[in-house]
Amino acid sequence: MSDRGLRINDLRVNVAGNHILKGINLEVEPGRVHALMGPNGSGKSTLAFSLTGHPNYQIESGTVTLDGQDVLSMAADKRAKAGLFLSFQYPAAIPGVKVANFLYAARQAVRPGALTPAQFRALLMEKMELLDMDPGFLGRYLNDGFSGGEKKRLEMLQLAVLAPKYAVLDETDSGLDVDALRAVGESVNAMRKSEEGKDTGFLIITHYPRILQHITADVVHVMMDGRIVKEGDASLALRIEREGYDTIREEIGQIA
Amino acid sequence: MPSALATIGIPANLEQAIPQLDADLLSHDARKNLLARSFELRSGRERPGRFWKIDIEALDYSALNVPASVSVKLSSPQSSRATVCDLQTALRTHREIVERAAGSAVDPSATKFAALSAALRNSGAFVYIPADAAIDGDIEITYDAASGALFPYTLVVLEAGAQCTVVERVTGSSGAFICGITEVVSAENSTVTYAVDQQLPLDATVLCTRAAKPGKDARVNWAVAELGAGLSVTSVDVRVDSPGVQADISGIFFPRDEQHVDLISNVDHNVGNSFSETIVKSAATGHGQARYLGNIRIVPDAQGTESNLRDDALLLSKKAHIDSVPALEIAANDVKAYHGATVGAIDEEQIFYMTSRGIDRESAEKMIALGFFEPAVARFPGEALRERLRAALEEKVRS
Repeated sequence: MSDRGLRINDLRVNVAGNHILKGINLEVEPGRVHALMGPNGSGKSTLAFSLTGHPNYQIESGTVTLDGQDVLSMAADKRAKAGLFLSFQYPAAIPGVKVANFLYAARQAVRPGALTPAQFRALLMEKMELLDMDPGFLGRYLNDGFSGGEKKRLEMLQLAVLAPKYAVLDETDSGLDVDALRAVGESVNAMRKSEEGKDTGFLIITHYPRILQHITADVVHVMMDGRIVKEGDASLALRIEREGYDTIREEIGQIA
Repeated sequence: MPSALATIGIPANLEQAIPQLDADLLSHDARKNLLARSFELRSGRERPGRFWKIDIEALDYSALNVPASVSVKLSSPQSSRATVCDLQTALRTHREIVERAAGSAVDPSATKFAALSAALRNSGAFVYIPADAAIDGDIEITYDAASGALFPYTLVVLEAGAQCTVVERVTGSSGAFICGITEVVSAENSTVTYAVDQQLPLDATVLCTRAAKPGKDARVNWAVAELGAGLSVTSVDVRVDSPGVQADISGIFFPRDEQHVDLISNVDHNVGNSFSETIVKSAATGHGQARYLGNIRIVPDAQGTESNLRDDALLLSKKAHIDSVPALEIAANDVKAYHGATVGAIDEEQIFYMTSRGIDRESAEKMIALGFFEPAVARFPGEALRERLRAALEEKVRS
């Protein structure tokens, strides 16, 4: 299966005429955790939205394949069905749509018919317990009046319930307190041990390394000004924590 | 008075109908005067814009067949203390109560369509709940306009501490015409919910005037769904003349194809320490047209009033229009009044969020649109009615 993986080749993207991604090359391997780090404004979230097909992000050139399938020609829902998931930094609120109904519709869309409603409910309860979520969540309207932490937990619940092939987590750690962060880490780690989630490849976008204390990264990519400028192992994240991005910026300045 | 209106005249078929109508509560002379009054008055429903194709002032009544009497279908929870009967029966059994209550919330000579309805009244229902009786389950009133033009009068009277829920259903065949008055007159500490489920064919006409006058510390809850008819011109009012009143109005409408909906709600806070919450959710698709005017009036002496008005409109096609006008007239200075109104298409960010979870765009739009109505639907009584409304809304979203 040589074409497995989420492969991004020379991806160039503009938003409202501004060139944000200037040739991204990155590969997320099944079952592995990739961290994408970089200072604010480097284009990390643009990459996340471009991968999932947000209409405001214009692809200029490049390719993205998911286990060999061309991703960029697919509508957003087809990308999700192909196995791609984005945990939103700022998920939309949809009043009147109950969390439980939404989760069931999404699960049915992505993994049709695999679970009876009773099995689905059992799955939800199990995943919610891992995330310290009250069952009362299920009857609330989707993200409507949710706190920042509640929204992030719901994104993680969706990740766990949909068990995608590739998950992009956009700044899931931002705005979370220590307990919430630990719960997120435990949920992701539990999913990686599960039958459905053991082959999931992760792209964890963050500018602080603290989420990586809970989820160990196999590869760390550093992004600056729309390009991947450096790759390394988990120690690269520790270096960023110690030194910030300035020394990396100086280093690549010297190379260029 | 020389005016264009004078030339419209009263259609002969309406005048000729009056002698056949019942003369018990309203004499034939009183009916004739009301009919003349109706054609003197303007509806006050100015054309909201060029897109609006129907002139409400100049509706053609000349083809209407007005039956002398139209029966009403009634049902009420068994062995309850509620009196639920047609209007003619009520005039025999509860005449004093009918005469005392009738006209206290709606003055039939005050507005064009109330005058028309009273002039040609040919059907009616009466609900009476004695003091401290709490009626479990719904009282159902079904008006059927299949056999001719219908001019119903519904009178709901609650004595002190009484509680009930009334669900009015309006049915009819193609071309149905209904022009009605509903009055809810409730005494102190009573609680009443009055729901309307109107799902007439798309070429029907509805012209209805509904008003409530609650007593001290009473709760009144209007829940009105105007989903059918080609033209629906309705008003829902609460006259707050007593302190401690909690008045809620919920409205949903959804014109599609060539449907026109014109809804006005009025909450008049004439005394202080009274509370109201109005929630109206609407959508339009196809060439559907609608206007909603939400009035809240707080008079100078009505200190301590709290009043909310929330009205949101969803446009699902380029040719659809909803003109949404919240109007707060506040003359007191120690009040809490809030209003918020939105008109727009479904938010693309909401669609993107749902599609990014694998839900196709069409299903996402459907779920979002149905969810949009839910805060108003949730205020309708009974899961069966709510499900009926959700099914009707779903059918409209799909079309």
